Amino acid sequence: MSVLKVQDLKKTYGKIQALKGVSFAIPEGAVFGILGPNGSGKTTMLSIILDVLNADSGSYSWFGQPASPDLRKRIGSLLETPNFYHYLSGVNNLKITHSISGRGDAAGIDAVLQKVKLYERRNSRFSSYSLGMKQRLAIAAALLGDPQILVLDEPTNGLDPVGIMEIRELIIELSKKGHTIIMASHLLDEVEKVCTHVAILKLGTLVSSGSVEDVLMDEDVVEASAADLQQLKTVLSNIPGKTTITVTDLTVQVHFPKGTAKPDEVNRYCFDHGVTLQQLSIKKKRLEEKFFELTNN
Amino acid sequence: MLNLFRTEWLKIKNYPGFWWIMGITVLSYPGINGLFYFIYKDQTGNEKTAAKMLKMLIGNPFEFPEVFRTVAFTSSLFVVIPAILVIMLITNEYTYKTNRQNVIDGWSRNQFLIAKFLNVVIISMIVIALYIIVTLVIGFITSADAAGKWKNINSIGLYSLQVLAQLSFAFLLGLLIKRAFIALGAFIFYKVILENIAAGLMGKYANDAGRFLFTESSDRLTVLPAFIGKLNPDSYNKSLSLLNQQALITFGFIIVFWGLIFWIYKKRDL
Repeated sequence: MSVLKVQDLKKTYGKIQALKGVSFAIPEGAVFGILGPNGSGKTTMLSIILDVLNADSGSYSWFGQPASPDLRKRIGSLLETPNFYHYLSGVNNLKITHSISGRGDAAGIDAVLQKVKLYERRNSRFSSYSLGMKQRLAIAAALLGDPQILVLDEPTNGLDPVGIMEIRELIIELSKKGHTIIMASHLLDEVEKVCTHVAILKLGTLVSSGSVEDVLMDEDVVEASAADLQQLKTVLSNIPGKTTITVTDLTVQVHFPKGTAKPDEVNRYCFDHGVTLQQLSIKKKRLEEKFFELTNN
Repeated sequence: MLNLFRTEWLKIKNYPGFWWIMGITVLSYPGINGLFYFIYKDQTGNEKTAAKMLKMLIGNPFEFPEVFRTVAFTSSLFVVIPAILVIMLITNEYTYKTNRQNVIDGWSRNQFLIAKFLNVVIISMIVIALYIIVTLVIGFITSADAAGKWKNINSIGLYSLQVLAQLSFAFLLGLLIKRAFIALGAFIFYKVILENIAAGLMGKYANDAGRFLFTESSDRLTVLPAFIGKLNPDSYNKSLSLLNQQALITFGFIIVFWGLIFWIYKKRDL
C-alpha cells in the first residue's frame, strides 16, 4: 500500500513554474529520498503535501485517503527551517507540538530531547540555541510520539559531522522498525547510504523515480581488465549485445541494456578470443554520478 | 475549542512581551480615566466662582448615568494599546513561521484562525471588563443619587462592539502586512490620521458618509460626553439618534473583517 500518492502536482510562483505535473507513490516502510538541485521544487512539493502551500492543480493522498489535518497529526515533519517560538524554551515548544498534534506526552518529550541530546538545555530559550541545536529540536519535534511517517526536509542542515552520522543512524534505525521516511537532501552520499527509493527532480519535473537499484541501474556495465588493454578493447568491441564501450586508464567498460549482461559469458568470450582477464565485475553507478547525469550538472 | 485555547495559552503564558503590554493595558484604562476624573475634581471641587460656573456649565460627566458614556469615550482613545497586543500575536506567528508549523503539526488553517479569534475576543473582554470596573468605581464614588443610574448602560454593549471591531481590524492589518511595526504604524496612520481627515471631509462634502468607514463607523458608538455635546447640540443629538445604525454597521464590519481574514488565509500560501 502507498503511504503517499502524488498525482500531477503543479505549482507556479508568478511566472516561475515550480512543479510541472509531478506524480509518484511512496510505498509503506520506504526511506524515500527526494533529490534535486536548488530550485528543482523539492521543498515546494513537501510544502504542498503538508498543506502549507496550495497546489495549482493535481492531488495527493495520505494512506489512500484525501489529505486532512487529522492525517497530518500522524506525520512528524521538519520543513525547511526549524520553526519555533523564540521566547520559549525547547521543552515548552515541544509542549505546543504535543498540544496541536496530540503526539507524545510529558515523558515522550523528555525522551526525544534525550535522543537528540538537548535534554540538558531543555529549559533554555530557543533563541539561545545554536543552528545545530535548533535543527536537533526540530528533529525532536518530528520524532515526538514515534510517528509512523516522517517528512524531513534537509534534516542534516547545520549539524556537525557527528550529528550527521547520528541522523543517518537514526533514520536506519527507524527504517528497521518499519517507519516510512520521506527525506529531501542535497547530501547524495547520505541519501545513497540510507534510502531505499529516490525521486529526482529537475526544474519542477520528475526525471527519475523508483527503488535506488532501479534508478541507478538503468544499464549494465561490465568492467574488465587484462595485461594488454588495447587487445581487450578490440575483442570486446565485437561482443554481441553490447551498446557502447569505454576505456579508462586501467579498465575497459562494456555497456549492455539493463538485465542482459552476463559476466561469465564475457569471460568465456574473451578467453575464446585469446585474452585472459585479470579483473571482471559488474560496475554499479554511484548516486552522485547518476544525479549529475540526470540533472546535467 | 478547549485544545485551541490551551495551545494559545501555552504560547503566551511564558511570553514576557505579551505580559508587559497587557500590564500597560490594564494600568492605562483606569489610569487615564482616573486622571481625567481627578482633573475634573480639582477644577470644580473648590469654592471659587469660576469653579462653580464650570461645574454648572459642564455638569458632572463622572456621575451616573453619564459616566458610562464619558469613560467609554476616553477609553476609546486608547484602543491602540490592546491593538499592539493583537498585532503582535499574529505577526509573531509570521516572524517565527510558527503559523505554518502549527498547520504542519495538524491544525487546519481555520483552527489556527479560530484560535487567534479567541485571543482577540479574550483581549476585548479584558478591555471591556476594565471599562466596566472603571465606570462603576468612578460612578459610585461620584454619584449621590441612585435614580436613573443605569440609563446609559447600553454603552457597555456599544463599547464592546467598538473594541471587538477595532481589534478585529488591527488583526486584519497584522495578517495582511505580517510585520509588527509596519502593521502597527499602518493601524495608527489609518485610524488616527487618514480616517479622521476622510471622515471630516466627508462630513462636509459627502453627506457624512464617513460614518461608514472601517473604524469611524465604530468610533461613533462612543459619543462625545454630554458637556462637549452641548457645544453643538444638533450634531450631538444626531449622533445619539444614529447609535443603532452605527451598531449595525459595526456588526457588519466585524463579520466582513473576519470573513476576509478566513478567506485570505485559506487562499494564501503559508
